[in-house]
Amino acid sequence: MKITELLKTGSLEIWHHKMRSFLSFFAISIGVISILYSLVLIYSMSFRTKKALEIAGPGKMTVQMPRSGGENTDPNAPKDVLTLDDSLAIRKEFQRLYMVSPSLKKYVRVTHGKFNAHQLVEGISTEWRRRGWIYTLKGRFLNQYDVDNFERVCVIIKTGGWIKKPKWIKLYSWKDRFQEYIKHNEVLGSTIQLGDNLYTIVGILEEPVLEKNPKTFLSMSGRWGGKIFVPITTAQRFLSGWSMNGDGIESISIDTGEEKKINSYKKKIEKFVQSRHSGKLKFEIKDYRELIKEQLTDKARDMYTVLIIGIIAILAGGIGIMNVTLATVYSRIKEIGIRRAIGATRMNIMSQFIVEATFLGFIGGIAGVFIGIIGIQYLASKGNTDMMMVQWWMPFLSILAAMLTGFFAAIYPAWSASKLDPVEALKYE
Amino acid sequence: MIKCENLKKVYPVKKSKGYEALTEVDLEIKAGDFLSITGPSGCGKSTLLHILGFLDNPSGGKYFFQGKNVTSFNDRKRSMLRREKIGFIFQSFNLLPRFSASANIMLPMLYAGVEKSEALERSYKLLEDVGLKGKENNSALELSGGECQRVAMARAIANKPELIIADEPTGNLDSKTGKNVMALLKKLNGEGLTVIMVTHDNELAKIASKIIVMKDGRIEKTVGR
Ligand SMILES: Nc1ncnc2c1ncn2[C@@H]1O[C@H](COP(=O)(O)OP(=O)(O)OP(=O)(O)O)[C@@H](O)[C@H]1O
Ligand SMILES: [Mg+2]
Repeated sequence: MKITELLKTGSLEIWHHKMRSFLSFFAISIGVISILYSLVLIYSMSFRTKKALEIAGPGKMTVQMPRSGGENTDPNAPKDVLTLDDSLAIRKEFQRLYMVSPSLKKYVRVTHGKFNAHQLVEGISTEWRRRGWIYTLKGRFLNQYDVDNFERVCVIIKTGGWIKKPKWIKLYSWKDRFQEYIKHNEVLGSTIQLGDNLYTIVGILEEPVLEKNPKTFLSMSGRWGGKIFVPITTAQRFLSGWSMNGDGIESISIDTGEEKKINSYKKKIEKFVQSRHSGKLKFEIKDYRELIKEQLTDKARDMYTVLIIGIIAILAGGIGIMNVTLATVYSRIKEIGIRRAIGATRMNIMSQFIVEATFLGFIGGIAGVFIGIIGIQYLASKGNTDMMMVQWWMPFLSILAAMLTGFFAAIYPAWSASKLDPVEALKYE
Repeated sequence: MIKCENLKKVYPVKKSKGYEALTEVDLEIKAGDFLSITGPSGCGKSTLLHILGFLDNPSGGKYFFQGKNVTSFNDRKRSMLRREKIGFIFQSFNLLPRFSASANIMLPMLYAGVEKSEALERSYKLLEDVGLKGKENNSALELSGGECQRVAMARAIANKPELIIADEPTGNLDSKTGKNVMALLKKLNGEGLTVIMVTHDNELAKIASKIIVMKDGRIEKTVGR
């Protein structure tokens, strides 16, 4: 007996018991939606991790003050902080490091022509160039002279647009007003007010178009960095405004150049910085892997929650299908007897019910994927970059999961149907 | 074609040793025979038919079908024999109600692996043979009792079996349609098929070339060659 024939009988049967079928594939659909969603999350996570490491280089680590360490106990107590001197000393001590890049961020008022709003301004040294350079430079970058002489100059990142904006983010409404402003006004060479002082814009760093920008789908690196950069010495001397660590600098990014050396350098640098502060400085060194892991922990929790919901829902759907199939078997005992009398084997009877249930799972899976894709597109259109990473194979995998659920749920009922005694089944009314 | 030695069937019954529905049944049926089985209700006629048609297993004795001892056959082999060599006709027709007349007839062919298009064609031809041309797409619910039984007969012969097993085929029909069905059976027998039929009607039983009268699970007497 061909599978098409089994399917025909199956669809007749499903149609004949519309409500019963609907309920079980409803549960399957919900399971499929959650599974689809968690697939996207899992994929997005591994993609981000890979890309993040690719861009940053696996040899990267960051020296920083702990984000929260009960610092507020006594605001007047003298506080030991990470300083620019630390950064310079590390550079001097460990000549073979590929990069030692200090950073200090300030949140200040930015005024240029009609633009006037608070922005994050980041003080950097020339070594910032080694932090995954993806830009096209117009004008010039900050140089050592700027840093040595507290020059009031700045460079600005101009983000790239889409060549062709993907459909699903048409509704993406969040716009960066500063970026809008510099897109529509030629600012290179002009004067900008950062905080209380005037600066000259000496360079524009143009990011590649978003399709080609590895950071597009990457929330962890770059996104919360500043878009305006000044020499770090200038930032220390002239910029006032809210910042993380008062007088010191915020962090020092270090790149060993290769992954193997990271652990030995980590220990050495830790000792070195500690000795410079006579052991009183609270600081931590995190290599990039750790940072990424930290940032992904929350996501992972979300993901597992959704995955568990998905599995539970699909199990519920499976039990639903099992129930429906059992009911179907009972309501078709006579039919089973007739089919046996005209020559159906036990296997024929079993496959009949299994095909039917798998088909039910398939329909539920299709419905779930359909609704799921609509939801994912909606989320993506709202700027959820995770959801933008949906892959073509994910719907298929979800439907497959639904079909497998139907398949396994039907095994027991189908087996009991095949075990029926033909004579008794024939007598059944 | 069929040879039974000392067939026995015991139905399990709670709190007793079981009910012996067939006792020491010896039987021989030659190819081309038309055999009638009669006897009072509950004497074991249907039980015997089910065993002869591989729907049920005997509790004891031996059953040879075309020279092979089938007592030990597994379910798959017995199902195969059923689909290839045997056609069943029941008192209550036993058609699948949601299927059309032709779909009912196609079913055994599809189980036997016949191509769908061929099965469809053959089902139309068979319906024409039993006088139901034009009713191909009626479901069993849209046919009269006599018509249902003719569809059932067409289904029984769909796979060109060698043996027809009919359990009171006219039991649910009036005497005129009953005679029609009997004529069809006779015709099939004339074409070389072996027929085993259970009936309560002594007149109808006489069509057969051999009559077996049963009582209390035993063969009481045999009339004819
Ligand atoms: N599954 C069963 N369990 C126990 N006893 C059974 C079972 N099936 C049949 N019997 C008994 O076996 C005996 C023979 O039954 P069978 O159906 O063969 O009778 P029959 O000769 O066909 O009768 P009828 O002419 O009324 O159809 C009956 O007494 C019946 O009660
Ligand atoms: Mg009977």
